[in-house]
Amino acid sequence: MSSDQDQLKETDTEARFEFKKEEKSAFETDKGLTEETVRLISEDKDEPEWMLERRLRALAQFQEMPMPTDWPGQPDLSEVDLNEIVPYIRPDIETRGGAENWEDLPEEIQDTFDKLGIPEAEKNALSGVGAQYESEIVYQNMQERWEEKGVIFMDMDKAVQEHPDLVKEHFMTKCVPPSDNKFAALHGAIWSGGSFVYVPEDTTVDMPVQAYFRMNSEGMGQFEHTLIVAEENSEVHYIEGCSAPKYSAFNLHSGCVEVFVRDNAHVQYSTVQNWSKNTYNLNTKRAIVEEEGTMEWVSGSMGSKATMLYPATILKGPGATDNHITIAFAGEGQNIDTGAKVYHNAPDTKSTIESKSISKDGGRTNYRGLVHISDGAENSSTSVECDALMFDNESTSDTMPYMEIQENKVDVAHEATVGKIGDEDVFYLQSRGLDDDDAKQMIVAGFIEPITEELPIEYAVELNRLIELEMEGSLG
Amino acid sequence: MSTQLTANLTEEQVRQISEELDEPDWLLETRLDALAALEDLDMPKVIRTPGRDWTNLDALDYETLVDPLEWEQEKDRVDAEGVDVLSWADALEEHGDLVEEHFGSVVDPQRDYLTALSTALFAAGTVVYVPEGVAAEDVKIRTTMNSRSLFNYTLVVAEESSSVTILERQRTGTNVDGEQYYSGVVEAVAGENAHVQYGTLQNLAEDSYNFQVKRGHADTYASIDWIEGNIGSRLTKTNVETRLLGDSSESKIVGAFFGHEDQHFDLASRVWHEAEHTTADLVTRGVLDDAARSVYEGVQDVGREAWDTNSYQRENTLMLSEDSEADASPKLIINNHDTEASHSATVGQVDEEDLFYMTSRGVHPELARNMLVEGFFVPVLEEVAVDELREDLDDLIVERLVE
Repeated sequence: MSSDQDQLKETDTEARFEFKKEEKSAFETDKGLTEETVRLISEDKDEPEWMLERRLRALAQFQEMPMPTDWPGQPDLSEVDLNEIVPYIRPDIETRGGAENWEDLPEEIQDTFDKLGIPEAEKNALSGVGAQYESEIVYQNMQERWEEKGVIFMDMDKAVQEHPDLVKEHFMTKCVPPSDNKFAALHGAIWSGGSFVYVPEDTTVDMPVQAYFRMNSEGMGQFEHTLIVAEENSEVHYIEGCSAPKYSAFNLHSGCVEVFVRDNAHVQYSTVQNWSKNTYNLNTKRAIVEEEGTMEWVSGSMGSKATMLYPATILKGPGATDNHITIAFAGEGQNIDTGAKVYHNAPDTKSTIESKSISKDGGRTNYRGLVHISDGAENSSTSVECDALMFDNESTSDTMPYMEIQENKVDVAHEATVGKIGDEDVFYLQSRGLDDDDAKQMIVAGFIEPITEELPIEYAVELNRLIELEMEGSLG
Repeated sequence: MSTQLTANLTEEQVRQISEELDEPDWLLETRLDALAALEDLDMPKVIRTPGRDWTNLDALDYETLVDPLEWEQEKDRVDAEGVDVLSWADALEEHGDLVEEHFGSVVDPQRDYLTALSTALFAAGTVVYVPEGVAAEDVKIRTTMNSRSLFNYTLVVAEESSSVTILERQRTGTNVDGEQYYSGVVEAVAGENAHVQYGTLQNLAEDSYNFQVKRGHADTYASIDWIEGNIGSRLTKTNVETRLLGDSSESKIVGAFFGHEDQHFDLASRVWHEAEHTTADLVTRGVLDDAARSVYEGVQDVGREAWDTNSYQRENTLMLSEDSEADASPKLIINNHDTEASHSATVGQVDEEDLFYMTSRGVHPELARNMLVEGFFVPVLEEVAVDELREDLDDLIVERLVE
């Protein structure tokens, strides 16, 4: 084993995510959600009038929409009382819009991200890094060579000020309107932080850019907004990571991701989600893909108490492609309800969805997916594969795919399997000298390999390590 | 909630139906309770995809469709040795206690609005009783609907270690004008080690609305297999369900449908694994032509106590035309990890390469297509035990292809 991996083994423990910092903030709203709160947030950010108007419209929609309660097997959201959430906390830093040097950050924030290994990763493997602490981006930096080519990677709040035309056109308009669902509307009203990524024509950003989101305070909500515009023939890989220490009260994360993939562009969006197990993770993610463009969603959902997340892709241009690769791991007390949505709205479009889930110790995983092929989307093809692995009899795994086909010249295939970990496989590995725990970990690592191989090596290692943590000591 | 019908339905009509069948009080009470419950019951659940209902049962005009007292049918019952295949009047006379024990024990008479309506108003129907140890083949029930509405109720009771294969045919007579409404309820009780195959060939007129609920309870080592052939009707809503209540019980739900013109099929099947070592296999194949539309849902529900479960599901749809639409939703609900379960669904066209191969052998393209479509149904047809069902289903498919 290399020394790098040794080091990871030592540092990658629960404690790496579990540490808490004293809550220190420059500005914090009261709990709850009123027009007053929304105006306060907007004012504190010194936003233009149009953004305030969008926030207020979204708030009105949020107040009209009912909570989703009638989905079979969905997580119980009754604990999510939005009047108990602190929607906006501006950390106490001097630079708005993110510092460019880690050294410029207050020590406890710097220390937080050091422990999470972000500065280290930036040196080795990334084109740019953004780090969000509570409601605001505290650090944002990109290598100069990308800046020179016109690539923009900045704090979303700053983008509202500096690139109003681009933001006005793309922000919660065509891709995710606030009316999409109750939590998208909530997000539209009180969003804060997140990243804006703009990749000009014919530009390939060859190393990933990363944003890391950290919630530190108890009872807060994080509502970051990510907007990615990839112009023609461009390429970018965006990675987000998330974590929070565990508190007794619940936290709410309701982010929104919008991706515009222009003709022949290629965007990969990877997520390693490791929220603490008191977090409700209710996200909306969607991409619109033009002619011959490609969108790839790669996500690993390990954390949170409840997740409801179905990254969606609209294949709008002929020849557009979508790939979804997701893995969900639900342990004790967790309900990970995820899936994928793909709309084939043009001819010759392709999608593949590969979903893997693991449930143990009473955890619940749901796959909920929709593939829609519109009339006229000739020669489209889709293939959906869902595999679920169950460790014990307290756990639950549901698979609920929907297919709506309005075009006849198509090739649609869905397959799902559910099973327990094979006794024979475990026996075989044991007979080769592995103990029960190691054997099961190895089987799980093999089960999720199709996902990990899509990630840069650092993240693949992290994902594997997170799964090992989940499994440690709890196997029989 | 729907109240379209309640206005012109009276207790008097229900009493009259009951009286004509010379029914015991308990059945009359069940009917009256169902009638009274109508006001509070919802329409049957239709299959939903996120945010959408594809079948609108509320849009039907039940008031003009349903005429409770004017019902007419032709019934042709072919029994097999050792089996009682009886009308309701005869069954209540000969097997009164048995009917009382099982009636409504599998299908809740008040499960939804249309089922309650069926329970309150049924006059046609059949009771099939298979005594212990009897192995019976080819019971046939042929129903020809000769009135605007018909409510049909079938009860199958197979005692310990018995077996039976049943064919139920539904068609419309020639002297019925305008739109019609057919409502069928089937309850099947399979005792220990009993085996029931219940096949239906639905070929109702294409201006009829068709609602059917079929549900079975399988005891230890028992099996209940459903064969569903849907060819006719303008709109069909079916629920075909088995509860595997006994250890080592099994169920198959096998379906074939062929929709054309503006036909709409909403087909739901569901199996509950509620005991150990149970097996289920759901296989449906369908073809859509013209502007026909199908909505399919199959659910495999594995309970917490269902150790060592095997559960499989396949659904395949062929689309022959531009305007047809198909939705499919196979679902797995797994609460026990000692399970081997899978499902798959495909939607596509007749395979280009297969077509090319056949035309290159000199087969006319249209004939080649028809042969491939007919062949597509073979895995379903092979499951059918009753020859008449298999042959007639195949004939109807071929007939529709050459239309």
